[in-house]
Amino acid sequence: MAEMGLAEIKQALSGLAVTDEIEVVKTIPAPPPAEGEEPGKPVEVKEKIQQTMLFTPDYAKKGYHLDVKVTPEDVVTAARILIGQEFFLEAITGVDWIKEGQIEVVYDFNLWQKLCRVVIRTRTDRAKPEVPTISDIYSGANWHERETHDFFGVVFTGHPDLSPLLLPEDADFHPLLKDFKA
Amino acid sequence: METEKLQSPIVHLAPLDQVLALGRANSLWPMTFGLACCAIEMMAAGASRFDLARFGAEVFRPSPRQCDVMIVAGTISKKMEPAVKTLYDQMPEPKWVIAMGNCAISGGPFVFPGQYGIVEGADKFLPVDIYIPGCPPRPEALIEGILELEEKITGSRRWPRVQCG
Amino acid sequence: MSAEVIDKSLETFVLNLGPQHPATHGVLRVKLTMDGEYIVHAEPVLGYIHRMHEKMGENRTWAQFMPNTGRLDYLAALSYNHGYAMAAERAEGIEVPERAEYIRCITVEMNRIASHLLWFGAFVLDLGGFTPLLYAFDDREQILDLLESVTGARLTFCYFRFGGVYNDIDDNFITGCREFIKRLRSRMPMYHDLVTKNIILIKRLKDIGPISQDMCRRYGATGPVLRGSGVNFDVRKHEPYSVYPEFDFDIPVYTECDSMARYMVRMDEMEQSMRIVEQGLNKLPEGPVMAAKAPKILKPAKGDYYCAVEAARGSFGIRLVSDGTNTPYRLKLRSPTFSNLSLFSEACQGMLLPDALALMGTLDLVIPEIDR
Repeated sequence: MAEMGLAEIKQALSGLAVTDEIEVVKTIPAPPPAEGEEPGKPVEVKEKIQQTMLFTPDYAKKGYHLDVKVTPEDVVTAARILIGQEFFLEAITGVDWIKEGQIEVVYDFNLWQKLCRVVIRTRTDRAKPEVPTISDIYSGANWHERETHDFFGVVFTGHPDLSPLLLPEDADFHPLLKDFKA
Repeated sequence: METEKLQSPIVHLAPLDQVLALGRANSLWPMTFGLACCAIEMMAAGASRFDLARFGAEVFRPSPRQCDVMIVAGTISKKMEPAVKTLYDQMPEPKWVIAMGNCAISGGPFVFPGQYGIVEGADKFLPVDIYIPGCPPRPEALIEGILELEEKITGSRRWPRVQCG
Repeated sequence: MSAEVIDKSLETFVLNLGPQHPATHGVLRVKLTMDGEYIVHAEPVLGYIHRMHEKMGENRTWAQFMPNTGRLDYLAALSYNHGYAMAAERAEGIEVPERAEYIRCITVEMNRIASHLLWFGAFVLDLGGFTPLLYAFDDREQILDLLESVTGARLTFCYFRFGGVYNDIDDNFITGCREFIKRLRSRMPMYHDLVTKNIILIKRLKDIGPISQDMCRRYGATGPVLRGSGVNFDVRKHEPYSVYPEFDFDIPVYTECDSMARYMVRMDEMEQSMRIVEQGLNKLPEGPVMAAKAPKILKPAKGDYYCAVEAARGSFGIRLVSDGTNTPYRLKLRSPTFSNLSLFSEACQGMLLPDALALMGTLDLVIPEIDR
């Protein structure tokens, strides 16, 4: 039953997934040894490949079924597709990848009828983080986005009121950034 | 409350003060001011098993104008601090403060290097009379705190001290 | 019942509810724009008990964060222990022995009953009835005695460890649980007679505070709020974890979408939890309560993991991002009451203030869980 929902949504979101250049480690086995020679050791090479960032991870290990990375602009399209397929929004959060200079915004979606968890990710520049809002599609995103703005400083363009939710009204700091000093 | 000089010279003022102190101590009206987890133990202390009513303190008033004692039960965040100060100022004299729980005493388990959100203890901005440690303290500990406050007000303890061990 | 008060040219005034208020169950502030007794606009203001749990998650080792989970939603703290332990076990690949799983489920369900009893007492107190609180607390103290004998704590539990639980249950606990279930079952008819069938309660709750399924979907509401709106969604059945598939229990669902439906869902859930505890005690296997190969220091593989459990208030989720070290890189706590409260603003428009407070009571809020 879960596979039906998963296949549909994977099909619907596959057009939005970005293609990233990622580094993989390939193990090349040693050539067969000649007469009287010791067998050689396998060699590990690092290789850069183009990878479509749409994964169906092992649910037992990871806890979700579909993982799609999209551009910030496509987040709105993805949200529209998901609400059309009757998904509900569980959470929105951010992750500060300071070494890569990016902030990742992660959206978790879930389904009432069948077991199908979908994760939508997007990355934005750490110096000026901007992602369009989905609060006109999913009303609950209003508060989640305010919280992500509080903690990471991500500006959700088009959000009706991005004032602090959990921090004091006059707070101008973003505590969950890795270089935050109290 | 000032004691007025009475006309008749037969009445002494010191016993009157003692009577007033006894009356205040045995009818402390706390404010419903639970901030976090300790609030539940405060509710449990007022409920059926531990029964704060035996000591006269079951009348939890929401309005600060009608209270004697503010039991700060829970963590005080920096956003909440002005509200706590306002409530304390609104209470009429004589008033007392009990800091219940580790968070109200010194910030509790939420103190770490780089903490940005809480005030490390109610005594940073309020005059605290009684400290009740625990995370959360048992309802019996709150009752002991109220009895200590009574002793502080009247000068003597009416209830027996329970020896441990 | 609710008037059409969308016309903003009416004379309105702003009323501040909280942050210190007996009915907000914690430090919640709601800025109400009122037209007389009717609410035109309600805006909850949060952050008065923001205790930096997610920042602490990045500063603490995996094991040091466990006490924090008990202080999120302190009324049902064992479910939060459970969610965090499961998430870390999933990330590290630790298998929990069967006896420990049964003990986990039994104690979580006892905690759920205690949480619902407290909700019941506090909710009726909000509506103006003081007596049920005292009865409910009496029953709740029995549960807390049992849990204290096993875990050592009354409220903010820290009982689960990665790989099991730290203390085994003894025969006193098992007998005590069975006696308690018998006692509570005999008292539930009294609760229903005193409160549920009370004409005042029925008038206060029936057809008050409708929350539609569409609203639940848009805001991500879960738990009894969702089940009172007719959606059969409970993580224990929908996404089974631990040993819940071994138990035979029902999920109460009411379709009326009003406050009375949410009230009845929680009352019925107490009975279902009692069934689970009974079956768990009957089927409890022998064995160790801690995994033999549980590592002392956790260092999960790089990547992110998600884990959800059914807490007393809804679906509690943890999103862990690990970078291979002994502290989490990012620890996101998905709080069910956060999503449940976010629909309050839309749901209470045009309602009378006391009705809105009845609605807020049925959402079963614990503010430290919202503010984290």
